[in-house]
Formats: sequence, structure tokens, C-alpha cells
Amino acid sequence: MNHFLQVLFDGLLNGLVYALVAAGLSMIWGVMDVINFAHGEFLMVGMYVSYWIGFFLDVDPLFSWIASGAFLFIMGAATYRLIIRNSLGKSAMAPLLATFGLSMVLKNFCMNRFTPNFRLLSGTVLEGKTISVGGAILSVPQLATAAFALVLLACLYWMLKRTRLGWAIQATAMDSEAAELMGIRTENIYLLVFGIGGACVGITGGLMTSYLAVYPEVGSLFSLIAFVVVALGGFGSIPGALLAAIIIGLVESFTGFYVAAVVKYAAVFAVYLAVILIRPKGLFGW
Amino acid sequence: MNTKKISDGIWYLLLAGALVLPFIPGGIENTFHGHVLTMVFLYASMAQAWNIISGYCGQTSFGHAVFFGIGAYGAAMAVVQFNSLPWYGAPVGALVAALVSIPISAPCFRLKGHYFAIATFAIVEIFNRLFMIWDWVGGAIGLDYPILEDGWRNFSWSSDKTGYYLGALFLFALVFGVVRWIDSHRMGYYLRAVREGQETAESLGVNSSLVKLSAMALSAGLAGLCGAFFAQYNYRVDPPMVMSLDMSMKFVLITILGGLGTFWGPLLGAAVLIPLQEYTRAYLAHLGSGVDLIIFGLIIIYTMIRQPTGIMGLIRGLAPRGRDASNDGGDR
Amino acid sequence: MLRKIAFTVVLCVLGALLLTGVAVAEDKVIKIGALFPLTGPSAVSGQNCLNSVLAAAELINGAYEGFDVPLAATEGLLGGYKVEIIKADHQGKPDVAKSEAERLYNQEGVFAVIGSYNSAATKPASAVAERAKKLFLCGASSSAALTEREYKYFFRHAPTDAIEATEFTDYITYLNEKKGAGIKTLGLIYENTEFGKHAADEGKKAAAKIGLEVVADVPFNNGATNLSSEVQTLKAANPDAVFGAALGGDYSLWVRTMKQVNWLPKIAINFCTGYQNPAVQKELAGDGDYFMGGMSFSPELAKEFMPEALKVQEKFYFPLANQEFDSDSLQEAVMLLVLGQAIEKAGELDTEKVREILATETFVSPLSLSGEVAFEPGGQNIKALSVITQIKDLKYNTIYPEKFKNAEPVYPMAPWDNR
Repeated sequence: MNHFLQVLFDGLLNGLVYALVAAGLSMIWGVMDVINFAHGEFLMVGMYVSYWIGFFLDVDPLFSWIASGAFLFIMGAATYRLIIRNSLGKSAMAPLLATFGLSMVLKNFCMNRFTPNFRLLSGTVLEGKTISVGGAILSVPQLATAAFALVLLACLYWMLKRTRLGWAIQATAMDSEAAELMGIRTENIYLLVFGIGGACVGITGGLMTSYLAVYPEVGSLFSLIAFVVVALGGFGSIPGALLAAIIIGLVESFTGFYVAAVVKYAAVFAVYLAVILIRPKGLFGW
Repeated sequence: MNTKKISDGIWYLLLAGALVLPFIPGGIENTFHGHVLTMVFLYASMAQAWNIISGYCGQTSFGHAVFFGIGAYGAAMAVVQFNSLPWYGAPVGALVAALVSIPISAPCFRLKGHYFAIATFAIVEIFNRLFMIWDWVGGAIGLDYPILEDGWRNFSWSSDKTGYYLGALFLFALVFGVVRWIDSHRMGYYLRAVREGQETAESLGVNSSLVKLSAMALSAGLAGLCGAFFAQYNYRVDPPMVMSLDMSMKFVLITILGGLGTFWGPLLGAAVLIPLQEYTRAYLAHLGSGVDLIIFGLIIIYTMIRQPTGIMGLIRGLAPRGRDASNDGGDR
Repeated sequence: MLRKIAFTVVLCVLGALLLTGVAVAEDKVIKIGALFPLTGPSAVSGQNCLNSVLAAAELINGAYEGFDVPLAATEGLLGGYKVEIIKADHQGKPDVAKSEAERLYNQEGVFAVIGSYNSAATKPASAVAERAKKLFLCGASSSAALTEREYKYFFRHAPTDAIEATEFTDYITYLNEKKGAGIKTLGLIYENTEFGKHAADEGKKAAAKIGLEVVADVPFNNGATNLSSEVQTLKAANPDAVFGAALGGDYSLWVRTMKQVNWLPKIAINFCTGYQNPAVQKELAGDGDYFMGGMSFSPELAKEFMPEALKVQEKFYFPLANQEFDSDSLQEAVMLLVLGQAIEKAGELDTEKVREILATETFVSPLSLSGEVAFEPGGQNIKALSVITQIKDLKYNTIYPEKFKNAEPVYPMAPWDNR
């Protein structure tokens, strides 16, 4: 029973982190129907930003996520301006492959500049702190990231549903030509969406530095899971991404513990396939 | 029609040249460019196999590494586990790949656009992780070839690559021949009809599921044959080597760079991308830390921005209007 | 239109430039290939290994006083031949390793190749060498299968997983007998790759021999996003001892996750990799303390038993790598020095002669723990030694075997809340 609770909490916490990683991807995907293949590398860059700020300026990841978010906002917007805008509409696969190229460049650039060494911030405020809930032990840095995920997702959701900007984004997502005719500058919306998508993953990366080592390959598995989360939740749906991420986190931790750790990702992908075959557009897809 | 014959004539002349090359001293033997040329024809065949389902039929699959991998395991299992010949393993592997492709792609065909793409790469991940723990096929440790006598019997050479080169050329001729045949027969029209609009195609009496499934099985079987060649060439198979997203991306990249849904596109894509990959690695990797991969990535980005229709699109853009219109009716 | 033409021209020129970049052969040079994973998931170790080979080449090429290392005092080999290292990157991929090995032998014309860290890459690369009857020297790849192939042109310095695993169980027997430790159960946690699987299999075999019961067998996917369920499985089984095999990022995640769930076995011993990388330990700070691992080099060990290695490290390796040797990378340097000695003895660049000498003679090797190197048929170094160390305050203290011991082990490991 003790283990059950621990496994449950582990799954929930990991799931919330996945939700945060996937949120930005989901927005980009939903609004522009573009898969950002460099998403995992955006995460890695976010982690490096936070790591270096922590390393040189001694700022805790609790605060440096702001810088990571800002940096990735700019990077996301720049990616849109320089790469996505120029490849959009020319062929369905062009943006995907262009971002695949970008992921190679980013990964190897970071390796070139920062060496492939594993880097872990030590002495952060939350480091090693744990709290015990009914016999299950939870790590505070992970808990903080998860709590942050909920807040950020709520903000995103509120922004999309309740603000003029959100309406404009939704209108653009549904029919960009009509939105353009209604006086929405879709070009700016796209730029902003890519920026926000980048910022989300940047913030995630920033927070994750408090418990995860940074190295050039760190984003790979996260991006795979993020793709699955987004497709499972339904492109562009924030609640969908949240629910999907929690499902995936739970499937991962329960199969990891009760079946075998080595098949946990296979199980995650299999569950995703099973669901998607019943609901071809994801849980909340439209 | 005449210009088409002329342009095809040029292609066939080039291929005849490729066939003669190994008989010229220093042509293939054990040179690095011999290796690169072999890889060009192998990857061109792989890309063309992928092109059947994704280019002609419009279903962008990221799952072909699975079929490629099954073919590779077919050959390797025959040699390593059963002490037999790859000549038995390769067709079995290709057949299994084709058979496996049907049940896994049938449900996926209901998915549209990126949902299909993501589903297929989830399949790659599942197969990869299952093969990693399946001890009968070597699990994570993989299958290593023993040292075998050189020659066609074992399809294995060490000091002279001419055999591999001719093998790749044969594979290339086979895959391209099959596609040319499909292209000019009823099946080709069905495929393109499904690509351009499934509902319309069905209203005209095309059984779109059957068309898609048979195209997928054919594509998977041919990819499996390419995988068998890959295993023979590298004396080793393990899951990350053949059943990975990286490998799937190669199918996609080469075809799209060359020209999606065009007959010569896969060859052009392989002819540009593979030498680029091999020579940047050979001459830049020693600078350390990924300079070759950075350049490779930049070139992919640049191509996708400037020339998303691939090299075939570039060639057609250069040709005067009207001439290319007759080239291949349904090509993009 | 113009743009498209320009694009094509750029592509063609680039292609042509790359094609013509072929190196011209020089006199008085012995080319040796260094084939390591310079990019990809194991790039950290690959780059360390490369730097180590480069350091050894520098040592051979110049005339240096005050080093009690063969070949240091004279300039080059065979009376003035300089060793030129041709670097190549296999990205951790076996197919790339195979084609790069071919390129090194056939195009670059190297006399021998040193490599390739990942056993999975070493296998096809050395198969190329064996078929072409060229030398392949391997420093750190630890898979026992490599030297069970009865290859003639393959030589490997590192102790195999099998040797290390036996040493681990010997140590457990020693603890049980001498200290009444009462270690009865074993858990294994390892990355599910060629390396991890091999190591774990040997670990299980060795455990069976001393009647150690395996209660948890936890392979995991490398490059993991989290190791919660893996560590939870270990915790639930609560083995007395744990054998680990994880690369840097996963290693630190494993240690941190164990800290999080506040669990430790009585003793945790690692197969090389993450544990023995000083950079990883530095990042882990105190959390890495009290873990153990098999090693054949550590600065502490070197101080007493291989002082020359420290001198070489300071003069040649540190300027290149900006860190200390670790037991993987150092062995690559040793292999180059051994090869250099064999070439000297042969008196000429003849593969067969050098092979014969490598296969039959014993070499002086102040950079190896045992001080010498000799290969048995199949290519395994029969003088390979490794010791068990325990890390404390970033120092690798040797705790077993008795001969090399410089500290008492802290046993059992200090619990997390008592540090």
C-alpha cells in the first residue's frame, strides 16, 4: 500500500511536468498545425540558460526560470520569423523537417560550446528537500515544478478563453483567412504563439534544472513524450494536454513498478495508440 | 512525350555508367567513394520504397524503420542464430515486414495528418523497446556476424566492395523497377487518386483501404529488403541501429529533399544527402564536437525554406514551362 | 530563379570542396586512427578518450626528460617517425563506426586504429580490422564478448565485465567473512543497452557463484526522464547490495532519486562509467559519497602505485581535457604506448611483425595499475587489474584488494539523513 501511494504520486508529479513540457508544443500545433521537432532542444536550451545563470550569477532556478522563459520567447519568435514563416504553406512536411534540422543544429551547437558534460546545479534552495505524505516521499523541487505547471496551464487556459488575444488566437487557429478578414493580424498571432510556445518550454527547462542534469541530449526523450501527450490530448487543447500528460505519467509509473521498468515507455506509447484508435483526434480534439 | 523519353534516356545512361563503374580500376574496389556510392543506392532504394506509400499515396509514415529493422533482423537471424544464408533470411524478413505492416497500419490509416505521423513514430518506439528486451533476437546486445568467407554465397565482402555495390545497384533497380511499373499501371492512378482525395476516389469506385494497405505492404516489404542489405553490410544489427526514429527520419528526409512523390526524387535526394553526410563527417568530424552535424542541419533548414519541393522541383523550376507538364501527370 | 541557381551552385561547390579535401601522405609519419564517439549520447567519454590518445601521442613525439615512461625520452618512433593521430567520430552508432574504420584503414592509410569506447561500436569496427588483417587496439570497451571471438588482430586493455563482476562478488565474500556483513541479496540496476546488459549478465553469473540471491533486476531505458519507478522497485525489494551500470546523466539521476525516496542499500558497487567520471561526481557533490565502483585509475591510487600517470596527466592530458584522467580514458593512452613499444621492437612498420610482438611479449606500462601489459589469445590483457574504490569528499579511496588498500570502507553506506 505504501508503494502504491508512492507510485501514484510519482506518476502524478511526472505527468504534470510532462504537461508543462507539452503545453507550448500543443499551442503551436493547434494554432498553426506545425510540429516543432526542435521542441526537446528548446527545453535543453532553457535548461542551459537557467544552469549558466545559476552557475555564474548564483541565481536559484526558482527565479532564473524567468530568464529562461524570456530567452526562449525570443528564440521561439525568431524561429518563426526565420524558419517557419518561410517554410509554411509550401509543403506539409517542410516546417517539420526544417525544425528537425534546427534540432540537429541546436543539439550540436550546445555540445560544441558547452562540451557534452553532464551539469547539475548543486546547493539550490530546494535541493534534496522532501515532504512525506501518508508514507510516500515527494521531492520538493519536483513538487514545485508540478505546482508551477498547474498555475501556468491555468494562465494559458485563461488567456486563450478570456482575453481578446486568446480569442484572436482561437480565431486564427480555426480559420486564418477569415480571421485575417476580421482584422486580426494573423502574422503577429503566429509570431506570438511561437514565442509563447517557446516561453512555456523555457520556463519548464528553467525549473527542471533544480533536479535534473543538463546535457545536450537531455531533450530527446522529453520531446517524444511531449509529442504523444499533445496527440493524445488533442492538438491545441490545454485541458487535453493536462489530462493526457497525467494519464501518461501514471501509466509510466505503474507499469514501471508493477510490470517492469524497461517496458514503461513501450507501455506509454501503446496506451497512446490504443486511445488514439478509439478517438482519432485525441481526448479533447476537435 | 518525346521530351520525357529524352530525359529518361539521360537517367538510364547514367545508370548504365554506374553499372560499368566497378569494372574500371579504382572504380569501387575498397575506396571511400565506393562506400558512399553503395550507400547512395541503398538509401535511394529505401527512400523510393517509402515514396510508394508516402509520396504517391500521401500517407506520411515515420514508421518505416520498423519494416527496415525487421528485414535487417531477418538476414541477421538467418546468419547468426541459424547458421544459414542471408539469401533465406532476407526474403523471409521482407515478407514478415510486409505482413506486420498490415495489422499495424490498418487502424492508423483512420488518422489524419499529423495524428498519423505521430502514431507511426510511436510504433517505432514500441518496436524498438520490445526488441531491446527480446532475447531471442539478441536483445540490447544485438546480433554480431561471425567472420564469413567473402563472396555472393554469404553476401559478405571485406577487401573489395564491388559485390556490395552491385548488390545495392540491383536492389535499386528492383525497387525503382517496381515503382515504375506501378506508376504506369492502374495501381499508380489509384494511389494518386487516393492521395488527391479519398472521398472522390471512392466515389469513382476505388477501394481506398485496399489500395492503401497494398501500397503499405509493398512499401514495407521493399524497405525490409533494404534492411537486410544494411545488416549484411555492417556485420551487425541492434535495435537503435535499425529501429530508431533517426532511421525513419532518413527515409523521410531523402525523399522530401529529392522530391516527394516523384520517380527520380529519391535517387536525387540520396545522391545529395548521403555524400554530404559522409564527406562532412569524414573531413569535418575531426574538428570535434559536431561541426559536421551543425552544417548538415543548416543545409536541411536552408533547403526546406528555399526549396521545399525538393531538387525535382528545382529542376522543373529551371526547365521552361510546358515541357515538364507532360513529364509525370500527377506529380507534385 | 537566380536564387535557385545560386543555391545549386553553392551545393555543388560545397560538394567539390569536400571531395578534394583528401590528405596528402607525408614521410616520416606513422598514422594511427582514433575512433571514438565524439558526438551523441556518449560524447563525454569519447572526447576524454580522444584527448588521452592525443596526450600519449605528444609524449611519444617529443623528447621529454624526467618521465619514467617508455618512448618519452626519445623523439618519435623508429628513429624519428612521428605519430600522427587521425581523429574520427562514430557518434555512438555501430554502422558509422564500421564505415569510419574502413575509411581510416583504406583511405587514410592508418597503421592501426585505437577505439571505440562503446562495445557495440567496437564490435563491427574491429571486425573490419580483422577481415583486412589490420591492428585494432581497444582501451576501455568492457564487453567480455569482444575477446571471446578469437580475433588475431584485436587487443584490449580493460578488464572485462566478467573480471570486474567477479571482483565485486569477491569483495562481498570478503566483507561477509571478515566483517560479518551478512550480505545475502543483490539488486541490479542498469541501462538496457549493450554495455548495461553485458555487465548485468556477468554480475548475475558471479552472484550465482557465491550464492547471492538476486531480488531485483531493473534494466532501464537510457537517457531517462525520471527513474522513479526503477528506484521504487529497488526500494521495495530492499536488497543488501546493488550493482549499478549507468552513464553520467542517468547515474546522477539515480543517486538523486535514491536520496529523494530516502533509501540506500548497504553497499552499492558500479561498473565504471558514471561513477568514475570526476566531472559527474563534482556535480553530485556530497550525494555521490560512499558509493563504490571498479576502477583501474584514480588520482589517489596513482599517487602510490602509478606516479608516472600523474606526471603525464599534468603535463599532457590536463592542458587538452581540462580535467583529470579517468580509468576509461587513461587506458586508451596505454594502448597507444603499448603499440608504440611493439613498433619499436619490430623495428619496422610491418603489421604481421607488430602483431606477433603484441601477442607474445609483455610490455612495461607505468600507466597501468599492474605496471605491465600482456595479451592472451583473443586479445584480452591478462595483466588487467582493477580495484574497488569508495568515493568520499570527491576522493576515490581504494578499499579492495588488500594490496592496494589505502582506506577502510565506510560500511554500510551512511544513510541520507546522517550526512
